[in-house]
This record gives sequence, structure tokens and C-alpha cells, in this order.
Amino acid sequence: MGSYHLGRHLKILEFALSSMLRRRTKNLGLVLVFAALVFLLSSIVFLTGALRTEALATLEASPQLLVQRAMAGRHALIPLGYGELIARLPGVGSVTPRYWGYYYDIYTGANYTLLGIGDQGLESPGSTPLRLVEGSFIMPGQRRVCLIGEGVAEVRGTRIGGMVSLRDARGWMQEYEVIGLFASPSRLLTNDLILLPEADLKAHFGMPDDRATDLMVEVYNPHEVDNISRKILERLPDARPISHAEIQRTYETLFNWRGGLLLAMFLGAMAAFMILAWDKATGLSADERREIGILKAIGWETSDILELKLWEGAALALVAFLAGVTAGYAHVQRFGAELLMPVLEGWSTLFPAIDLAPRIDPYALGVLFSLTVVPYIVATVVPSWKAAITDPDRVMRAS
Amino acid sequence: MILHPGILGLLITAVLVLGLVLYGAYLGAIVLVRWDLDSSSEEQLALERKTYLLSTLMGHAMALEILSALIFLYTLEDIHAIFVGAMCATGTLNANPVGWWVLGAKILGLLFCAVWIVLNRIDQRAEDYPLTRLKYGLLLLLAPLLALETWLLFRFFLGLDPSVITSCCGTLFSGSGAGVGAEIAGLPAFPLMIAFFGGTAVYLAAGTLNLRQARPRLRYLLAGLSLWMLGISLASIIAFISSYHYELPTHHCPFCILQADYHYIGYPMYLTLFAATFYGLMVGIAEPLRRVASVEGVIAAAQPRWTRLSMLLFGLFVVIAAWPMVFSDFTLEGYY
Amino acid sequence: MSRKMISLENVTRVYNQGRPNEVRPVNEVSLDIGHGEILVLKGPSGSGKTSLLALVGCMIRPTSGRILVAERDVAKLPERFLTGVRRDTFGFVFQQLHLIPGISVLENVMLPLYPLEIGFTAAKRRALELTEQLGLTHRKGFKVEALSGGERQRVAIARALINAPQAILADEPTAHLDAGLSGELMQIFETLRGQGKTVVIATHDPLVHDSPLIDRVATMRDGRILDGDG
Repeated sequence: MGSYHLGRHLKILEFALSSMLRRRTKNLGLVLVFAALVFLLSSIVFLTGALRTEALATLEASPQLLVQRAMAGRHALIPLGYGELIARLPGVGSVTPRYWGYYYDIYTGANYTLLGIGDQGLESPGSTPLRLVEGSFIMPGQRRVCLIGEGVAEVRGTRIGGMVSLRDARGWMQEYEVIGLFASPSRLLTNDLILLPEADLKAHFGMPDDRATDLMVEVYNPHEVDNISRKILERLPDARPISHAEIQRTYETLFNWRGGLLLAMFLGAMAAFMILAWDKATGLSADERREIGILKAIGWETSDILELKLWEGAALALVAFLAGVTAGYAHVQRFGAELLMPVLEGWSTLFPAIDLAPRIDPYALGVLFSLTVVPYIVATVVPSWKAAITDPDRVMRAS
Repeated sequence: MILHPGILGLLITAVLVLGLVLYGAYLGAIVLVRWDLDSSSEEQLALERKTYLLSTLMGHAMALEILSALIFLYTLEDIHAIFVGAMCATGTLNANPVGWWVLGAKILGLLFCAVWIVLNRIDQRAEDYPLTRLKYGLLLLLAPLLALETWLLFRFFLGLDPSVITSCCGTLFSGSGAGVGAEIAGLPAFPLMIAFFGGTAVYLAAGTLNLRQARPRLRYLLAGLSLWMLGISLASIIAFISSYHYELPTHHCPFCILQADYHYIGYPMYLTLFAATFYGLMVGIAEPLRRVASVEGVIAAAQPRWTRLSMLLFGLFVVIAAWPMVFSDFTLEGYY
Repeated sequence: MSRKMISLENVTRVYNQGRPNEVRPVNEVSLDIGHGEILVLKGPSGSGKTSLLALVGCMIRPTSGRILVAERDVAKLPERFLTGVRRDTFGFVFQQLHLIPGISVLENVMLPLYPLEIGFTAAKRRALELTEQLGLTHRKGFKVEALSGGERQRVAIARALINAPQAILADEPTAHLDAGLSGELMQIFETLRGQGKTVVIATHDPLVHDSPLIDRVATMRDGRILDGDG
């Protein structure tokens, strides 16, 4: 009995598909509009998702607690003495100063991040998870060399053995030999990163000897981070402790807010589309009406027609959904979400190239489904029913 | 308020479901007042045709309820990172305690919808539509329930504030804390294991007995047992099943098993458990309706099917739940 | 006359009841139809033949009166179950044929089986048998709009027969056929009677109601059956 049931549904589905194909020109317009909407919505969801993943991956690498110094509300260099003070707090492991800064290159018009590598090399706690692709790391005591990320290598057109020239704080051009290329799980990290020996970096920016850019603080128990931050603030009022979790929350809120806002904007478009769908479903053409009349007359029941209409709606929605989602995925993945970038201004400079990990997120698909297919199906319920209750003797009376 | 794609989707879906059910209840009320099967008037025919619309509306509402329940759980997981102190869905729910009510209302609403749909199916198999009044009466109860659920859902999501510091499963479901969750987590694991596996055996035995002997009392027993086993199973998930999945004797959260780290094992687990409970319950709920002659045969044929389904689903649930107890090296022995 | 198959008792059908535009296309009609007979409902257009056919075929419910199909009163059956009775008992041939253009002959013939619990292959086998019986095998893959009038008529008959009905109800089946094809059609009806099927034809075509092949004629006027033989 069960298989017979299935047979019934399959036959009705088969007829639904064949009748849609017969009216393909009529359905094509609707599918295109629907797919375009799904495309927009999915681009937004995929893009914010990708950016979030990227940002969180970057964060993985950052230390539990980062201490900066604020002066006049701006980030200022932090005295190394602060580090000694912090290191004496109970529960604090090591304190490592970081030396880094931004460098604007007038020739390529790009912003680089220069990061100093001390004698501990890259193995120091909280250092970035960089992976050497080619060449070697900076040896202790080595000077006038650098390591660059793959992104920088592309822009500069340099490989190992080449030279990178940077204008230092005094306005002199300094040349550094490239001795290695590195990669990391996230493109954000490496796209604009240049590693220099610590001494070279300090000389480049003209930093005083007793100052660092910020301090990485190792905290033994992660639950104590907030306590330690408070104690640091009590002792050093001009310090600005930033905990890992705090950054993560800021990112989460930022990305959800941006994505949600954009989605909300497009919901208006969705509403308009639902009206269109309603209208299309209500405005059955004379020949569709006749066909439903015939089916009723030759023994199809109201619920059979309802099922037929439901299959039609589902097939249309599914085709549009898949097309839209695929296009949205390609848009974000292959073309860097070009169409959305103007809307997301401020991000575009922050994130030069997105390398979305090719994965299918069932949750994102579920959310997109509930934002697009669900309203469409709901919008077609009443019109489908109106079509389905056609009198079976209608075709006889019409004659 | 947090603007999150999942939250937007949930709110929209909730409004749509409420719209479907309210419209259904409105149609149901009309049918309830004017229904007269003996009449051959055009009005009666129009009413009969309205019942098709009603069935479709409710079918859609049910499907959307299932979809939104899954998205709701996943959204709780997804947004926990926004809240200080939250590590999983528990933290999100604690960030605005209305969330627990939403969860309860969702489960109740789903069960209610499912029962309604089955009653409707039974009714449509009988030529005199004997359950019409019961059905539409129930619909008038279901509509306020869903309205409440939607209202709670809005209050929950609109009231979520990222600056709230919340407590998570570590405190709520810790073996040594206070409160219901902690008390369940602190239940001695070994006696509860006996209750869980013993209860499973009793349940399967009761099901088998039901298939052998057609006795009304046995059917009520099965329905009662299915509710009882739902309670025992939920307690067991908190007290020891989850710990086995986490391989951590102190971790008792019923939500972390929904995370990717544990292969989303929570979803099939809860789906099978609730579906098994539903079919078990149905066997008892439909029993008094057998007094109606025109549906007696339909129900009599369905009850063994439900019994078998319930047993199968419950068995599946136990297999999923107990898998790591059998196949992993981790053991709770020595911790209790 | 053979055992009763369908029996109408004081059947009335009213449209727009209680309103100024109230009409009664069928008024207090009582009629017995036996197994394996060819009955013709004759009368001018507007006399209620089509409505009576729709009532007999369980397409619509009467406003009052009883309709017995195989001894079972179906007058008050909800539409869902009435459709079930109709699918099991009747096959219809319409005046305009009402085939669906754009799909093949075979699919048109199979269409009534789609909502039934029959597998696709079984349905197709039955459709192939019928197309062969009606001499349409060489046309089975054609779209119906490519067929001649007579062929289309036979497709419509095959479609009416696909659910193995006990009775065929035909509404003005010869309206668009020339004399030759009308004769051919009557031959088909006779064959069906030979297989034990009942045939009810509503018509005002003398070629049909004067044909020697028919068993009985009931004349309708203003919603009533005139002759005493009803």
C-alpha cells in the first residue's frame, strides 16, 4: 500500500513538472525575478558569514589579553616598564612586547602592516599562526632582511631573493632582502603583512628604545582575564586592556548587525515579490483554468489539484532557489562580492580579497530558505486552493 | 535587539505561521457554526471546500513549525558568542530567560499541530466527518497557543541585549549547583541509567504486547509510558548521556550536543525522541475516538502502525544516545 | 431489463436557491438505469440533459432526492467521497472532448489514473491496451492537436475507459462528427455494451436517438422526463 501511495504522488509530480515545462515562457519571468532576489539575499548572508569566519580566524591568533596605552583617546606607544609591572600580577604568565605599525606605500597605494620579529622568532606565545611556504625565517641577529605574505608578493611582484624598499621615518629609502614567503589560514592576516627583524622595525619607525606598540599578556586561567584587566586598569589608568572575548563579541555584533540591516532592506523587495507571486497564482490564464476544469471532470479531486499546485510552486521555488544560491555563492566566492562592495564601504578597504572557504553551510541555507521559499509558498496557498475548488462539471456547463 | 539573518528568518516564519493558523481558526469557526452535513445547500458545499483550504493551511503551518524549531535551536547556538559568559545555547537562553518559555511553547505547539493533523487525516477518511466539531474546537485552542508562542519569540529576540552577562551550561547544569537543571545533572548516574535502560525495555515490551493483544488499557499504558520515557530520557541526557558524548564527566549540557563539535548528534537524537513520544501518545489520544463508529476501523488500523513507529523511533533514539557508552573508551565509572 | 445500476428518486437540482435568478435544470426526476443498456437522454438544448448527466455521474450533488449507485445512496456524500464513487464507476466523454493539448495521446489517456494509487508502469500498460483496442497505437506518441477529429474522439473514449468504469456517460458526443464518424462511434458504444457496460448518451442528434442500436430513449423538457418509460 505504501508504494502505491508513493506512485500517486510521483505521478502528480510528473504531471506538475510536465505542465510547467509546457508553460515555460510564462514561468521563466517569475523564476528569474525570484532567483535574482535569492541571489541578493544569499550574497549578503554568504558575504557576512565569510567575513565573520575570516575575522574570527584572525582572532584565533591574537593573545588572551592585549594591553595598549591610550593617550588623548588615541593609541600610543606603551612603556616597557608597564610590562614589568603587569608581569608581577598574580595569575599572569609572561608579558611579551609587540612591535608593529602601519606603512603607507605611495607607489602601490597600499597599506602594509609591518611586524617586528624578536629573537624568540615566531614561536613566542600568541604569535600569529604563520606557515612558511618558501625560504627561511629570520635568524637571531640577522638584519636587513624581510619575510612577506603571499598577497604582498603578488602586489609587489617580488619573490625570494628580491628586494623590498620602504621609506623610513627619516625619509630615507631602506632595502630589505626577501628571504621567505609565508601563508596563514586566513588571507586577512597575510595580505598586507611584512615581517622585519625587531631592531630594523624600531629603526624604521624611529621608536624609542623603551617603548613597544603593545603588550601581549599570557593569563593562566582564561576565566581570570576580566579580573586581571581590572587590576591592570587600577594600577595603570592609561592602559587599555583588550580581551580576546571582547574583540570576538564586537566582531560578532558588527557582522550580525551589518548583515541583518542589509537583509532587512531587501525584505521590502521580498514583500513586493510575494505580491507578484500572489498575483501570478491568482491570475490563472484561461487555458490553465480550462485544464484544471478538465482534470476535475475526469476524476481528479480537490486535494489532487492542491497537490499538483503545491508541486508546481515547490518546483518553481526550488529551481529559483538553487539558481539564486549558486549565483550568490559564485558572486561572493569568485567575484569578491563586487556588487555588494559599494554598500559595504569601509569594509572593502579593510578586507582586500576574500577567500571564502568553499563549504556549504546548512544553517545559512535554512535561513535563506525561510526568508525566500517559505514566504513564496505561503503566498500561493489561497490562490492554489481557489483554483482547486473549480466545479467538476464546469467543463460540461461551458459547452 | 540583535539583527541576525537567522533571527529575521525566525520572526518572519513565526508571523507567517501565526497568520496561517489564525486564518485557519477563523475558517474553522465559520465551519463550526454553520456545518450541516445533512444539508445539500450550496453553502454546505462551500464549507466542505473550505476544509481543504484549512487542511492545507495547517499542513503548511506544521511544516514551518518543524523548520523553524530546527532554525531556532541552531540560531541559539550561533549567536551565543555575542553574550559574555555564553558558550552554547544555554547561555543565549539565559541571556533573556523568556527563551526557556519560547522553547516550551515551541515543543507544545509542535505536538499540538501534529496531533491536529493526525486527527484531521482520520476525520477525512470517514464519510460523515465525525470529528469536525472536535477538530475545529481544538483549532480555536491552538490559535491562542501559537499567538503566545509568537509573542514570546518576539519578546525573546527583541529583549536580547549583548551587554548582558549570562551564565551558561557550566553553572546551570553543573552537578553541584542549585536549581532544577543542576539537580537533574547531579542525579546519581547509575540508578538513572537503570531507569533509562530498564524503562526502554519496559517500553518496547509494552509496545510488543500492544501488537499482540488488542486491549484499550494497554494502549493507554503505552501512551502514559511514552510521556514517562520522555521525562526519563531528557533527565538522562542531562545527567549522563551528554557526558558520554562530550567524554567529560562534568559536562552535562543538553544543548552542546547540537554543536558541530559533536557532529550535530543532538538533532537526530531529539528528533527521534520527540517523534517516538508523539506516536506513542497518539495511540492513547485516539483510543477514546474509537467509540465513533465511522472512524473505528481507521483508528484500529492506525494504532499498530503508530505503535511500531514509536518503538522503532525510540529504539533509534536509544542507539544514538547510547552509542558512545558502548563504543568509546570513556567511562563515567569512578566519578559517581 | 437487467438489474438496476443507477437509480434516481425525485431528484431536483436548484441553482441560486431563494434568489431571483433561481433555476431548476433538473426537477423531480425519477429514472432507473440498468446494467448493460444504452440509454439516450434526448431533448432540446437547455432542457436539463447535461445537468442530469452530471447528477447521474456523481459530478454534482442533488439539492433534494436520492441517487442510488449500486444500491448506495450517494446524494449526501461529501465531495471527497463522491469523487471516489465517480472514479470507480463512471467514464465521461464530453461534447468538446476536452483533451489536454501539448501532451501525448498516451498521457491524455492515462490522466484519470494519476491521482489513483496505481503504479506508473501499470497505468501505462492499461493505456497501451486501450489505445490498441481503439486503433490508436500508431498515434500514441503524437500530441493530441495533431490528430484528426475521429481520432480525437477515440482518445476521449479511451480516456473514459481507463479506470474500467461500469458506465460511460457521453454528452453530445456526435456534435462535431460527420455522419460516417457518428456511425463509427455508435459501433464503439455497442461494443462496450457487449462488454457489459452501461452507456448513457445525452443528445439531440437524430442520428443517435433514432439509431437501432439504442435500447431506450428518455425525452427531457424543462428539467423533467416526459415519457412514461423513465
